[in-house]
Amino acid sequence: MYQYDVIDKEFTDDRVAEFREQVGRRIAGEITEDQFKPIRLLNGLYLQLHAYMLRIAIPYGTLTSKKLRKLAWVASTYDQGYGHFTTRTNLQLHWIKLKDAPDILAALGEVGMHSMQTSGNTIRNVTADPYAGATADELDDPRVWAEAIRQWSTLHPEFSFLPRKFKIAVTASAKDRAATRVYDIGLAMRRGRGGELGFEVMVGGGLGRTPYLGATIREFLPTRHLLSYLQAILRVYNRYGRRDNIWKARIKVLVASLGAEAFARQVEAEWEKSEQEQVDLPDIELARIRADFTPKFEALKPRSEAVEKLKASDPAFARFLRHNVHPHKVPGYALVDVSLKTPGQTPGDMTSEQMNVAADLAETYSLDEIRVNYTQNLILPHVKLDDLPAVYAALKAAGLATPNIDLISDIIACPGLDYCALANARAIPVAQHIAERFADPERAEAIGELKIKISGCINACGHHHVGHIGILGVDKKGEEFYQVTLGGSGEEDAALGSMLGPALPADKVTDAVEQMVEVYLRERRDGERFLDTFRRTGVAPFKEAVYADAH
Amino acid sequence: MKALTGNMLQDGEAVFWSHGRWVARFRDAELFDDAGKAEAAEGAAKSQQTVVVDPYLIDVIESEGLWAPLSFRERVRCLGPTNHPQHGKQADGGDDIDALRHAIGAARSTGRVNLIKRK
Ligand code: HEM
Ligand code: SF4
Repeated sequence: MYQYDVIDKEFTDDRVAEFREQVGRRIAGEITEDQFKPIRLLNGLYLQLHAYMLRIAIPYGTLTSKKLRKLAWVASTYDQGYGHFTTRTNLQLHWIKLKDAPDILAALGEVGMHSMQTSGNTIRNVTADPYAGATADELDDPRVWAEAIRQWSTLHPEFSFLPRKFKIAVTASAKDRAATRVYDIGLAMRRGRGGELGFEVMVGGGLGRTPYLGATIREFLPTRHLLSYLQAILRVYNRYGRRDNIWKARIKVLVASLGAEAFARQVEAEWEKSEQEQVDLPDIELARIRADFTPKFEALKPRSEAVEKLKASDPAFARFLRHNVHPHKVPGYALVDVSLKTPGQTPGDMTSEQMNVAADLAETYSLDEIRVNYTQNLILPHVKLDDLPAVYAALKAAGLATPNIDLISDIIACPGLDYCALANARAIPVAQHIAERFADPERAEAIGELKIKISGCINACGHHHVGHIGILGVDKKGEEFYQVTLGGSGEEDAALGSMLGPALPADKVTDAVEQMVEVYLRERRDGERFLDTFRRTGVAPFKEAVYADAH
Repeated sequence: MKALTGNMLQDGEAVFWSHGRWVARFRDAELFDDAGKAEAAEGAAKSQQTVVVDPYLIDVIESEGLWAPLSFRERVRCLGPTNHPQHGKQADGGDDIDALRHAIGAARSTGRVNLIKRK
C-alpha cells in the first residue's frame, strides 16, 4: 500500500490546522456562510437534511486495516456508529457536527487519510479496478497509475477551478470493473503491437441529467505519457468548457458539442506543443510508487483440501464460493467479496463493529489490504485458499457473508431522500424492499446476474442509467414515483438504459421488478443473463408485463 | 399555515423557529397563519448568521389533528432517515412523530416556500 511520506504528512497537517481556523472564524461570525461554504466543501463537508455529511476519500478504493479501523473509530466516536460506502469508493458519514470536523480530519490525517477533493470543481478521488493487483486478467496494477494521477492532481494549481467536477477511473483489464465508460476520463490499459503497454483514453462519459458514454479519443497512449496527455485534456477542457451554465459545464457536454474527433484533435495539438517531459513521471518515481504495490505472496498449492472438504459438506459455503470468491493471479490465493447487501440492510452501510471485523480479517488473512468496490461492497483481495473457511466463518458471524454478489439483491442505491438535500425521492427503502422480495438465495441464484441501480434524483449518484434495471426517483405532484430503465451496463459492454414506460408509484416498483424477472425467466435462452435476454427481445415484453394492469 | 426551519450551524441539526428561539421538535414550532409575521420571522432568522444556516419557510398541513409539514422532504427532516428508525428525532417516538409519519403530501418540490432562489 502506498505510504505517505513526511512532506505529505506535513501538508495534510497544515491543511487541518487551516480548516480548524476557518471553522473557528465561521462559528465566531468572522466569515459568512457564503464565504465559508466553498471552504467546507473543499474539505468534503456538506450540509444535508439532518446534519453535516463528511465524505472521506479512499483513493482507488484501497484501505489497510489501520485505515479501516480509524474509519470505524471516527464513525463510532463522532457519528452514529456506521458509515456509507459510495459508488465513488468514498465513505460518507451522515451525522457529523461542524465543530467536530477539524478533529475528525486530524484523526484521519494520522493514518494518511483526508477529504480533499471529494467535492468542488477539481479532479476528484481517482478510482480503479477493485480487483487490481490480484486478478489474473490484468496487464498491470492500475493503482500504480491511479496513484501517479492522485499525486499529480492533488491541489494542482492549474486544475483547482475547473468548469465543473472531474472524475477519472483506471483499469488494466479487458473486463471493466471500474465503469470507465461513464467517467470524465476513463483509462483502460491495452497492450500495443510491440508488446508495450498503453492506455485507451476515453473522454466525456458521465451520468447525471445528460448521460453519455465516453468516446475513445486515443486508442493507444504509451503509459509513460499518461500525465502529459491528461494535462492536455484538462487544458482543452479548462479553456473551452462552459462556465455559464452548471448543467452544461461537464466535459461530456464539450466533447458532445465539438464532436469526439474535433476534441481529440485539440487535445493532440495541445499535447504536441506541451513540454511533456516536465510532466511525465520519470521511471525512478514510477518505480518508487510501484514498490508500494508489490505484496509478498507465498508459493502455495493451487488447491486446498480444507476448502474442498467444507464445500462438500456445507452447501451455504459452496454457494459463498460460487458467488463471493474469485480466482487470484497467484496460485493458492483468492479474492473474497464482502457483501454489504444483506437483504433488508441499507446498501453500502457498514457498522463500526463490522469495519473492525473486516480490518482484522484483512490484517490476518489478506496481506493487510481491503478494497472498496463501486458496487458498494468490500473485497479482501489476497486470501489464501486454506484460510477461506475461517474467513467465511468470521464474515458470516458479522453478517458480511451474504452470497449475492452481482445477483438481484446486490443493489446499488444512493442515500436519496433519507439523507440527501437534493433528492426527489427515497432510494434506500426501494432497494431494501426489492432485496427482501428476492432474499431466498436459491431463487436469486436461479435468476443469475442482474444489476439493479437506484438513484433518488437525476444526478444519478446511484448509476441508474447503467443498471440492467435502473430506477430513478422522481417527484410527481408531491408523491414519490420511480422511472424504470432497462438494458444499461457500466461495464465493457457499456450502454445507457432505455425507458420502460411511465413512472411507477413507490408501492408498484418491487412488483414491477418481479414481473420483469418473470418475463426474463420465460424468454431466456441457454446461458443468457437478464441483460442478454433484454438485448435480444427489446423492451416490448417487459413493458407489456408491467403495464398489463393499466390497459 | 407556515413554519420556519433551518439547520443549526454548529451541529447541522434540523430546527424550527419558536418566538425567537430554535427548537428541535416540530411539535414545538411556532406556526404562522399570517404571511407578514412569517416573513418577519424569516428576516430575523436570516440575521442569526452564527446560529442557523439557510432558514426558510415551509407549508404546514393538518394530520391526525396535529400539524405536519406539507412536504415529504420536510417531514423526513422532522423525523430522521426512514431506513434507520432509531436515528434522529423519530427515535424518541410520540404522537407527534406518528402524526408526521402518517401525513401525506408533497415529496419535494412543493412545500418549501421560495424554493427557487437566486444563484
Ligand atoms: C451530499 C450528497 C451528494 C451530492 C450533493 C451529490 C451531488 C451530485 C451531483 C450534482 C451530480 C451530478 C453532476 C453532473 O451531472 O454534473 C452527482 C453525480 C454523481 N454522484 Fe453525487 N452527490 C451526492 C452523493 C453521492 C453519493 C452518496 C454517491 C455514491 C453513492 C455519489 C456518486 C456520484 C456519481 C457516481 C455521480 C455520477 C457520475 C457523474 O456524472 O459525475 N454522489 N452528484
Ligand atoms: S442521486 Fe440525487 S438523491 Fe441520490 S445522492 Fe445523488 S444528489 Fe442525492
